[in-house]
Amino acid sequence: MSKVLERNNVHIQGAGAKAMMFAHGFGCDQNMWRFVAPAFEADFRTVLFDHVGAGGSDLSAYDRAKYSSLEGYATDVVEIARELEFSDAVFVGHSVSSMIGVIAAEKAPGMFGKLVLIGPSPRYIDDAGYTGGFSAKQIEELLEFLESNHMGWSAQMAPMIMGNPDRPELGEELTNSFCRTDPDIAKAFARVTFTSDNREDLARVAVPTLVLQCSEDIIASQDVGDFVNRTIPNSRMIVLKATGHCPNLSAPEEVVSAMRTFV
Amino acid sequence: MVSLDFTDMVENAPCGYVSLSPAGRMEYVNRTLTGWSGHTADQMIGKRFSDFLTMAGRIYYETHIAPLLRMQGSFDEFAIDVIKADGQRLQMIANATERRDTDGKPLSIRLALIRATDRRRYEQELLRAREAARTGERSAEVNLQREHETSELREQFIAVLGHDLRNPLASISAGVRILDRTVQTEKERQVIAMMQTTVMRMAGLIDDVLDLARGRLGGGIRLNLDFGKPLEPVLMGVVDELRLASPGRIIEAEFKIERPVNCDGQRLGQMLSNLVGNALTHGSSSKPVIVHAETREREFELWVSNAGQPIPQAAMDKLFEPFFRGNAHASRQGLGLGLYIASQIAKAHGGELTVSSTSEETKFTFTMPLSPEARTSGK
Repeated sequence: MSKVLERNNVHIQGAGAKAMMFAHGFGCDQNMWRFVAPAFEADFRTVLFDHVGAGGSDLSAYDRAKYSSLEGYATDVVEIARELEFSDAVFVGHSVSSMIGVIAAEKAPGMFGKLVLIGPSPRYIDDAGYTGGFSAKQIEELLEFLESNHMGWSAQMAPMIMGNPDRPELGEELTNSFCRTDPDIAKAFARVTFTSDNREDLARVAVPTLVLQCSEDIIASQDVGDFVNRTIPNSRMIVLKATGHCPNLSAPEEVVSAMRTFV
Repeated sequence: MVSLDFTDMVENAPCGYVSLSPAGRMEYVNRTLTGWSGHTADQMIGKRFSDFLTMAGRIYYETHIAPLLRMQGSFDEFAIDVIKADGQRLQMIANATERRDTDGKPLSIRLALIRATDRRRYEQELLRAREAARTGERSAEVNLQREHETSELREQFIAVLGHDLRNPLASISAGVRILDRTVQTEKERQVIAMMQTTVMRMAGLIDDVLDLARGRLGGGIRLNLDFGKPLEPVLMGVVDELRLASPGRIIEAEFKIERPVNCDGQRLGQMLSNLVGNALTHGSSSKPVIVHAETREREFELWVSNAGQPIPQAAMDKLFEPFFRGNAHASRQGLGLGLYIASQIAKAHGGELTVSSTSEETKFTFTMPLSPEARTSGK
């Protein structure tokens, strides 16, 4: 396996000619797509991966400077897509990965032909004439709060977890077997996620885009979804009945059928 | 058989207990949690659980707890803050489970919440301490490295200086000896004698600086062990020299060296010279300085005592540090290395040099094991 694919713990399934790439958001890893991705395996080559620092990615590749902006994550997406020779592929991004996909699509024209953005937000912190839903102070509190929740992470466990992403039974005695992250990296990812501002990138999206908006999503509100849908030139929005921020887990069937109308 | 009141067990459980719809709305809250939070059940039922959390808690619930419950069916030991009716925070640790039907569809989410104010404060203190330790470690490493470089340079400097000072001094000494052969007048004789004394004093100071450099360059003072060679004549020689150099002062010597001492005689002589020199400088000039050396079954003891003002307590701690100088007349001061070197010699012999000082007497005592075997088994 190539270095890039190994670095991002890339898993490829499916038989289709076109690729469909799934990018997870803040808080978890590619496990987020377990109820959605299989539905597309008949028609697409599905590509799942972990952002560096999350899940089964290569932690030694974590570079504080590179990943201090979404640009760094988008570079990885382009590298994976180039490695797998994507052309006119579908990018499915959840949460912060929506914006990572927007940046990646702009970086490499022709690589992605369609974007599916689930619960996107170009900016979480309120600004003049814009309601992101959070104050800067609340985001600072979040970063502090994350320190109280280490997700069962400890330095001793790290090699065991990271060395055996395909053998979850090794982690069975651990409290939480999914979505463990080094707390320092989790905090850095939270910082880049919640302090980014990608509003200006939206207008430059050149490919057809589907926005999936949840009902009652406190992370990415209806107003924010409307802003994204309005600003991206060729975009349409489907408001899901699903509540919360992770419809790919709470209402996978609804997500899948909404996506089918688009891809 | 004991009858169990399950309603009461849940309502008044020693933990907060909550049941949520799969979408996260409150369907039940027990009396314990309403009591802790100050919200009534009516105020809570039907609302989203995350409505009662801090904003950080809400984000955490949506990005971690809810997805993990879907994926693994339970999520244990997470920290969560509930906002109380009075606006204060209720810091808690919680476990959550997702109840599912036979198809794996979620039926409800249950949470057990335990108050954890003290525990969270303790965790935060640990986190802060870890952060401080990391910062401290980094600066300590830098300091240590810098300190190491500086001290190495300083000690090399001392060593080089010691050698380079010896050569010109040897020339002066040789010149003085030549002049001494052709001395004409009494005045000239006095000047020559003074120059010889000064050269000797200078040589002594340079030796001290070299010993300091050796002691500090890691290896400590190296010994030439002359096991079996009588020690008493060496020590007696030192006492005689000092008697000659200090006319008018009484130095009493008592030697009971009846067993061989495995030591470097020249170094012990140097130590004795330093100790007696010290006693002559700081002790009462009208009372004798007493030198005592004896072998016991396993150890050798050498002590030097003098009468006079006791050593101040503040000075006691620094006595054996290099460049420490007491309140002697400036003209009689050396470099302040005598006791430091004496203690290094003691250390090199596997022994120790201690001091006691009262208004009756001040006494420096050196003890060392007689043989290396005793060194390991003796203490």
